[in-house]
Amino acid sequence: MLEVKSLHVSYGGVQALTNVSVHVSKGEFVSLIGSNGAGKTTLLNSIMNIVGKQKGTAIFDGKDVTKFGTSQIVTSGMALVPEGRRVFSNMSVLENLEMGGFKRPAAEVKNKLEEIVKMFPVLGERGYQMAGMLSGGEQQMLAIGRALMSNPRILLMDEPSMGLAPLVIKEVYEKLKVLAESGLTILLVEQNASMALKYAQRGYVLENGRIIMQGKASELLGDNEVKRAYLGKEYKEKWER
Amino acid sequence: MQFLYSGLTSGSVYGLVALGFNIIYNTTGIINFAQGEFVMIGGMLIYTLFAVMGLPFPIAFIGAVGGAFVMGILFEKVFIRLTKIKNELNLITVTIAASIIIRDLAMHFWGRDSLPVKEFIPVFNIQLPGGVMSSQSILVIAVSLFVAFGLNMFLKKSKYGKAMRASFDDPIAAETCGINVSNIRVMSFGVAALLGAVAGVIIAPIMFVTYDDGIMTGLKGFAAAILGGMGNFGAAIAGGLLLGILESFSASIIPSGLKDAVAFIVILIILFVKPDGLFGKKKVHRV
Repeated sequence: MLEVKSLHVSYGGVQALTNVSVHVSKGEFVSLIGSNGAGKTTLLNSIMNIVGKQKGTAIFDGKDVTKFGTSQIVTSGMALVPEGRRVFSNMSVLENLEMGGFKRPAAEVKNKLEEIVKMFPVLGERGYQMAGMLSGGEQQMLAIGRALMSNPRILLMDEPSMGLAPLVIKEVYEKLKVLAESGLTILLVEQNASMALKYAQRGYVLENGRIIMQGKASELLGDNEVKRAYLGKEYKEKWER
Repeated sequence: MQFLYSGLTSGSVYGLVALGFNIIYNTTGIINFAQGEFVMIGGMLIYTLFAVMGLPFPIAFIGAVGGAFVMGILFEKVFIRLTKIKNELNLITVTIAASIIIRDLAMHFWGRDSLPVKEFIPVFNIQLPGGVMSSQSILVIAVSLFVAFGLNMFLKKSKYGKAMRASFDDPIAAETCGINVSNIRVMSFGVAALLGAVAGVIIAPIMFVTYDDGIMTGLKGFAAAILGGMGNFGAAIAGGLLLGILESFSASIIPSGLKDAVAFIVILIILFVKPDGLFGKKKVHRV
């Protein structure tokens, strides 16, 4: 469904991504893990053309979207939940959702809004509050809801666990699971490798702007190298023993 | 009381100009020092269309305000768009350069003289407690408040108004919603020019129109925006009215030749004492 081929991106002379190829099939939940600064956000931003691509192509649903402007990409059926959520903090929750459906006809926005409030009841309860006053978890739900408003066929998720408590992270992932089960295609990038791989079917490992590993999520979770580098101390100790 | 009335009249004009400053500040983070020129352009266009060509006022008004709107858009497309390195310093310098260019072009086109525009409503005085107010002054105040209210409704209720607020709030997030932020920026210049032109049109019969009107009006509108607090629309209008009143009351205590200095003293005091402006508040953020 989404195929990114040999993508190169650089910022002011510094190479952020080198020859990155990623593909996501219809209905798949794919996670891409990597440490801070590996280029995960750059990858998503350059797919959305928020950051310019130097080389490489992006094919979405058989259409070449490499050169599409961001708003055109949104229209074609991709949506991004940006890193750090980036809700419009001085606008109400409902207005935030409405903005997510900016490219959609009014009648559709109305239906979609009901659907999303049903899925995230807290957004309905807080509808008229300023989004900046929500808790981190609520803001994450709002950011997801906002992205869903454009009725995407693929959802790009950037670091949903960022700054959230473990219980809240779990809640967010459960929602993603529900979405995935309803047929939405998801490409997620995360530092929190254990969560990301646990929920995904397939995974990639990004390091210093290059894909160094890929495979079934369960296999990656079991891989010693991944355990050592991304899954934290307890795994590290086990591995060293 | 009479001072209050005349203060409110000039104050509402400052308020409109301050609104224009605010809109552009919100979308681009810069101060558009050419804002005053749009006021002059509004006045000049109403002179040409209404006083010279003799078009009926409603048509001339739409022509003047619409013309300024288009000019605002061109202003963005030419001066702002083509600036290669878009940091605040460069862009602000560009707006100053642009304001001088516009002023000089206006001088060549309309000449150096002050041009009269005849009244577009019947002139009569209205007796108010403690003074009189001309029908024109009341029109100026009413139109300003109406425009400010209209702008507020536009931003709160309409889809594009909301998109504008979203782009003020977080341009990248707005982009991911499918909002074309650079179009929003263009639109904000158009709207700011339109607001300036409305101010220019409604004061034209009271003040005459001169090619270099833009400097003072612009700077006073800027003072009003600073006084109220940048980035806050309601505060811009309040700042404008307050500045107008201060200015007019000051005429009773200091020589009237120093009247123009009041605006700048206000800028200095605000920047020394309360840099966020009287009504400016720090944005609420929860990370």
